[in-house]
Amino acid sequence: MRKHLRSRRALGIAVASAVAITLPGCAREVGGGGDGGSGGEASPGITDDSITLGITTPLSGATAGPGTCTVAGITAYFGAKNAEGGVEFGDGKTRTVEIEALDDAYDPQQAAANYDQLKDEVFAMTAGLGTPTNRAWRDAAIADEVPQVLIMTGDPLFSDAEESPWQLGFVPIYQNEGEAFGELLASSGQDHKVAILSQNDDYGEGYVEGFTSAIEGADNIEVVEQLTYEATDTSVDAQITQLAASGADVVFNAMSQVPLVVSALQKAQQLNWKPSWFLPSNTSSPGAVLEPGGGAAFPGIYSVSFAKAPASPAFAEDEDVKAYLAALPQYGNYPDPPAFPHCQWSWMVGATLEQAFSEMTEPTRENFMEALRSIEDFQAPLMLPDTTVNTTEDGQPAVSTVVVQKYNGRGYDTVESFE
Amino acid sequence: MARVVEAPASSAASSFRRRPWVRRAGPLVLLVVLVALPLMLPEGANDTLARIGVFAVAVLGLNVVMGYTGQVSLGQIFFLGLGAYVTAYGVTNDWNIVLVFVLACLVPAVVGLVVALAAARLGGLAIAMVTIALPIVGVPLAKRLSDYTGGSQGLSARFTDAPEGTGLYDDQWQLYLVFLIGGTVFLLTRNLVRGRYGRAFAIVKGNENVASSMGISPYRYKVLAFTIASLIGGVSGFLYMVVVQYTSPETMSFGHSIELLVAMVIGGAASIVGSILGGAFYVVVPDLTNAIDPSLTALLQGALLLVVLFLLPGGLASLPRALTRGRRRSRAGRGPAAPPTTPSSTTGSGTAAEEPETERQGHA
Amino acid sequence: MDKFIQLVVDGLSTGSVYAALALAIVLVHQATGLINFAQGGLAVLAAYVAWWLTNQGVPLVLAILLSIVFSFALGALVERYLMRRFERGDPDTAVVVTIGLLTLITGVAGWLWTYNNQQFPSLFSLETVSLLGVSVSIRSIGTTLAIVVVMVLLQALFAGTKLGLALRAVAVNPQSAAFSGLPVGRLLMVGWGLAAALGAVAGALVAPQLTLTPGMLDNALVYALAAVILGGLTSPVGVVVAAWIIGVLENLAAVYVGFIGFDLKVAVPFILIFVVLIVRPQGLFGRKVVVRV
Repeated sequence: MRKHLRSRRALGIAVASAVAITLPGCAREVGGGGDGGSGGEASPGITDDSITLGITTPLSGATAGPGTCTVAGITAYFGAKNAEGGVEFGDGKTRTVEIEALDDAYDPQQAAANYDQLKDEVFAMTAGLGTPTNRAWRDAAIADEVPQVLIMTGDPLFSDAEESPWQLGFVPIYQNEGEAFGELLASSGQDHKVAILSQNDDYGEGYVEGFTSAIEGADNIEVVEQLTYEATDTSVDAQITQLAASGADVVFNAMSQVPLVVSALQKAQQLNWKPSWFLPSNTSSPGAVLEPGGGAAFPGIYSVSFAKAPASPAFAEDEDVKAYLAALPQYGNYPDPPAFPHCQWSWMVGATLEQAFSEMTEPTRENFMEALRSIEDFQAPLMLPDTTVNTTEDGQPAVSTVVVQKYNGRGYDTVESFE
Repeated sequence: MARVVEAPASSAASSFRRRPWVRRAGPLVLLVVLVALPLMLPEGANDTLARIGVFAVAVLGLNVVMGYTGQVSLGQIFFLGLGAYVTAYGVTNDWNIVLVFVLACLVPAVVGLVVALAAARLGGLAIAMVTIALPIVGVPLAKRLSDYTGGSQGLSARFTDAPEGTGLYDDQWQLYLVFLIGGTVFLLTRNLVRGRYGRAFAIVKGNENVASSMGISPYRYKVLAFTIASLIGGVSGFLYMVVVQYTSPETMSFGHSIELLVAMVIGGAASIVGSILGGAFYVVVPDLTNAIDPSLTALLQGALLLVVLFLLPGGLASLPRALTRGRRRSRAGRGPAAPPTTPSSTTGSGTAAEEPETERQGHA
Repeated sequence: MDKFIQLVVDGLSTGSVYAALALAIVLVHQATGLINFAQGGLAVLAAYVAWWLTNQGVPLVLAILLSIVFSFALGALVERYLMRRFERGDPDTAVVVTIGLLTLITGVAGWLWTYNNQQFPSLFSLETVSLLGVSVSIRSIGTTLAIVVVMVLLQALFAGTKLGLALRAVAVNPQSAAFSGLPVGRLLMVGWGLAAALGAVAGALVAPQLTLTPGMLDNALVYALAAVILGGLTSPVGVVVAAWIIGVLENLAAVYVGFIGFDLKVAVPFILIFVVLIVRPQGLFGRKVVVRV
């Protein structure tokens, strides 16, 4: 059926193609279609002394908060590196790294347009936030052979090397985070009733899927209530009220909206319901979530993480944290401490890219992808002990190891068991 | 009221348009340009033009119900999204593309008809609130129907790569499709709003009581306009998949519906050319503000919108009129065969901003 | 049963957030005959100003008062130098201008104070009061009471004062208002100024709960508009009651109506609007007037 159709279409545009042949000197030499820069010749966006990276991410609209962070972190990282002269590449050359970021306002259509605009100017696309906004141009990036790497989505599709040869996610897939907590809970040796509140999209579903798979077969865990909310809701009070009525002693809370997590914690306290909580890595900041939310009131707030929390007093003297907090306002144009971990993650993306650059022997996108896909056990700055960047495992993003942590009133401690 | 219908706005440009050679040569020149343009332009420009086409069609649909018939609709993006979902679903299931196109028009039209049968009983702000519900409920609904919509991860469908043997690049092929389908929709709509139905729409917009007294059922024509708007929205959804090749619940988020309304007014309400200019505004402004400073896009977009409307309250389509106003004032009349490129409003009620007093009185 | 009552109370407190914004929208509509999408943006801007002042060491109450004064001036200036040009033209254009204003203000807030989340100190404590098995925070009670006070003041303004009558006269028919000697221009400025000042109150009330960001009130705007239409454009009491009804019904439908659930509960206010307006086109409490967007 498809073939038949194609031949008919071909007929239909015969006129047009006739004109095409008769029209000489079309403006077509400049990068039409996919020029991946094969054959050892330098790919677009790289010269002997500089390399340009592209980002499309929300810089306005509802997700501008974390979106701004995805640009600020990497810009700060390479800003500091450029100030020292640049980054040393595997081919012996030292290059400065320029970032070209565009706002997509979380609109897939605009993200695709931004990609179209950047693809011939930049060497690789990176760090952009969002599942739909990255999916919108994934096929095009594969067709054009443009790297779309270390992006901020836990969608597993981007870490499947066969489906997505030019892609690689950075943050752990959502399932991994949910699973890590599920395992901890299942091995507690006590009976637990769990209430689940998750965002109604692939983010929430991914967390819940990972969690449920980990507690499958564990007799001591019972899910007593499971509710969702929309990212556009102004309140989750009703959900908390209903969950509280379920009598659960553990809340598995897969929410990505910082204000709603804060009000959820407050609401539970008002109802005098004090369960243990699980919070995802992107909404568990001690300063921006737990302090205003009154996290200390609960017996335990657990989260998974791979990054040091810069606001935590435990890391106040940490060299990584100090360098990061100094560079963010200076080079990243981000004045106060961010409420979102995406700033740290984006900083780590910068370090991971630098690691790949140092193994890159040819200034081509193919060679870069090869180098990027062969990073093993790289301890990026700001990473917690026992977590590493590892890009060699298929089906997993650059970071797939997380540790479970427990809130101690001011920051987080890594824990081995559920108390 | 009869004055509004019989003697529509005068336009300075119309005397030029009514010269015979312009009337004959205009469409031909336009056709040649449309055929040649995709071949001459670089890829980026073709992509941008194609996206302008997509949203110009969406704005055109909105114009039918809002600009021409005076019913505020804040739900237009829902029909674009619905058309895009139908297209994506059909393509991924390997349905015949012509069937897919027909369904992408019909399904939104039928849904639009059902909504309109209920909503057209209301008027004014109430109809705005009922239509605002479409994208707002549409987003969670699309997630719930994840078996068909792919949930929040959306659906990708690459079905518009240039056929082999044509020697065309993908972007050229896509732009031709947009020109062909979008152009057809624009021509049909232009004929519609300039004909009997267009006059009825204008009367309904002007005063529903007058319409009733003339034997024109406001309810029937409101339903008709809304259904046509939905159908055109579906076409724009099909074109969205031709160009963007991906759809998700974000495609039909409420904010975009508001942006379409903005685009319609900025382009020029009740104007065919205004729809194209509105589509251009919708697409070009985010690119432009990104080029100036990506971290200030909201600020710049807001400022730009205000500046344009402050200078041209009638929208971009009123620019030629604003320029020639005062210099000459041609006699009342309309150029029925004007090519769509000629900037001007096309029906009696099209000059809302120019003659605000009359408009207001008409409602009261 | 406890859960039921608790859900109702939760709905009232969420409804109060919508009501705060809705009251400002009604005020500007009463004074200028216009639906103002930028109302939430003005409220957010005022909240940022108050937040910024507290960071400079200004006591919270004083900071909020100053932000109210700032908003009044800003609202009046916006009316005089921006909206004036559109107020007697095509109403659609004027609405779109307010949308542009909303975008601009959001952008300005993002530019000046970044899109980072900020904690806005609350006027009321977060302590909980328990009564008949229902828990509610003092903050929610305080917010709700403040909104009721504002509502009563507004109702009194429009029904019983010369200023209120003059504002309404200008909105309904500027020409004849001018003929009868009213200073139309100044009254329009006062109308916008008052609405913006009221928005500042609303912003300060809801910011602690919603967390201060440039887009803080974007999601509430749709609900506020729904409350405005449902309650009837002319009645402050009507919109507050409508906002509460929306907040409560939404919660109850999500929990007790299986096929709606928490994902589609947003449809509830719109179904409600549809049903109510078919029966009563002027809204629950509205006077019957011809209104066009």
